[in-house]
Amino acid sequence: MPATDTPPVMLFRDVAKVYPLPAGDVHALDGVSFQVDRGEFISIMGPSGSGKSTLLNMMGCLDTPTSGDIYISGTHVRDMSDTELTRLRRDRIGFIFQYFNLFPLLNIIENVTFPMMLKSQKEVNPERGKEVLRAVQLEERLFTHTPTELSGGQQQRVAIARALINNPDILLCDEPTGNLDTKTGAGIMELMTDLNRKGTTIIIVTHDPTVAEYTDRTIRIVDGRIAV
Amino acid sequence: MSSIFWEIAKRNIRVHFLRSSLAMLGIVIGVVAIASMGILGNSMVSQVSDSLSKVGDIVTVYPYTGGGGGFGGGSSSDNMKITDQQFQQIKRVVAPSVAIPVLSTSERMKVGVGGDDIFATVYGIDPKYNQDLDLELTSGGFNNANSGCIVGSVFAEDNKIKVGSRIAMGTDGGKGALRVTGIIKEQGMSLGGISTDNAIIATESWFDNTYNRNDYDEIVVKVKKGQDTADVKTIIEKQLNKRDKIVSVMDSKAMLDTLNSAFGSVTTFVTAIGGISMIVAGVSIFNIMMMSVNERIKEIGIMRSIGTQKKEVMSMFIYEATIIGVIGSVVGGILSLLAGYAISALMLQTTKYLFTVATAVSVAEGVGFGIVVCLACGLYPAWQAANLNPIDALRHE
Repeated sequence: MPATDTPPVMLFRDVAKVYPLPAGDVHALDGVSFQVDRGEFISIMGPSGSGKSTLLNMMGCLDTPTSGDIYISGTHVRDMSDTELTRLRRDRIGFIFQYFNLFPLLNIIENVTFPMMLKSQKEVNPERGKEVLRAVQLEERLFTHTPTELSGGQQQRVAIARALINNPDILLCDEPTGNLDTKTGAGIMELMTDLNRKGTTIIIVTHDPTVAEYTDRTIRIVDGRIAV
Repeated sequence: MSSIFWEIAKRNIRVHFLRSSLAMLGIVIGVVAIASMGILGNSMVSQVSDSLSKVGDIVTVYPYTGGGGGFGGGSSSDNMKITDQQFQQIKRVVAPSVAIPVLSTSERMKVGVGGDDIFATVYGIDPKYNQDLDLELTSGGFNNANSGCIVGSVFAEDNKIKVGSRIAMGTDGGKGALRVTGIIKEQGMSLGGISTDNAIIATESWFDNTYNRNDYDEIVVKVKKGQDTADVKTIIEKQLNKRDKIVSVMDSKAMLDTLNSAFGSVTTFVTAIGGISMIVAGVSIFNIMMMSVNERIKEIGIMRSIGTQKKEVMSMFIYEATIIGVIGSVVGGILSLLAGYAISALMLQTTKYLFTVATAVSVAEGVGFGIVVCLACGLYPAWQAANLNPIDALRHE
């Protein structure tokens, strides 16, 4: 249930992104405004080239808008330095990618605790990593394996655990089931639903309507604008 | 915190073991080239300094011949001599240092019956100066009698001369005979003073009687402790060259310093040539670091997107370059000692100059240079990795 007494987890106000190209400016986003409240489970859908990826990069503080304002948990991200944006991503946002993107040189526990180490700037207790891995229902015997020894579904669970480890305000998911078979994808979506029920705010960027069905609300984006 | 990036750097080197080993090998070769050349150069300088240190306190006065000059003594032309009066002047101004008058000529002689004619330098020196000349004998004793002489070890060895051997001086022994009373220890290269290895030292009175000479060919001044060779040289020049230049004065210490400086320059030059191999190694490090960055663009993008700071990404690659640099350089340092040992043994026939502070400095320089080159060559790839656009990096396949 969205909370109303706290600032929205994410607020976009008239956000535009223009890519100047020799052939003419490309308006990837054009006056996008929306708000995500704490505890919401939202999907963002749209055809290819509609501006989904640009929007995702803005939400993840990987890119800055040409104009407009973005607030993450009440913090205005405009004019933030790269260091500050990186810190914001580390502390407030959890990323889940289509291709899992785990670090091949680290084992599962190390992968999951990696953002925690970034935050604490010291060695961390692996127990916290194990706790989160148990929460995403990964078998304990796999904790010391390397990512390549795991199936796609297991790797995505590890990626979810990694995204959750620093208790972020929001989980940003980019086609989280796009690289999984239907059954495994459904398992991942059930896990997401469960996490949302426990209070995690989740935004999923997808083109898959079955994924969108799990969410409470869908924002449709067409030609860089939010479709009404 | 940095431990996870250190760990990743270590594991990446392990995963690409062959590639990393080859880069390390380049550094090993570079360090060995630099450090072993340094060791060899230092050993050469030490050896030369050692063999010349005895003459470091000698000032030699020659008659002025109108230019030229150079290392070594040798006889001057007949009309260019140092008179007894000039010798007395020198003796007075250099006191308490000892001025030793030396007569010399080149003479034909024959050793034993039926031997071939040979040539050698013959010195005429009063035996009372033997001690001041620091002459050491390997066998026999000093010559006190007029018909006695001492000979240099190289001369003795080449002509199979022993204590007691008789040398017929002049053509067909026309200038009498000398009996060898002692063999002088090998002196090596000479900077001023007298060069004894291939010479005969007879008494001054025998020389006078035989060649009817009263003027001297050179004056060797053995500078006492507490006096500076450069000062002694200046005093002599001031005293004797007041009006016209009549003597040339050679300060062996200054020449020794010049020689050492020249050896130092040669060492630097040779070491610099060794440095070329280090540059090649550096290029190889740069290359593998760039490969490492290019292979891990996506990984860098993920790291950056989940909150890794630029400096942390940079540190990961610098750690990688450091590990390669430190291992390569340390192994190179150890091998350069072995190489220095082998080269010294082969080229200088001795390894006694190996375990010195100068060797340690050469090895430390080589190792330090190796690490610095690795770091410098890892810096740009690391900077490039840190400054990748996270969005582009994430899209990279």
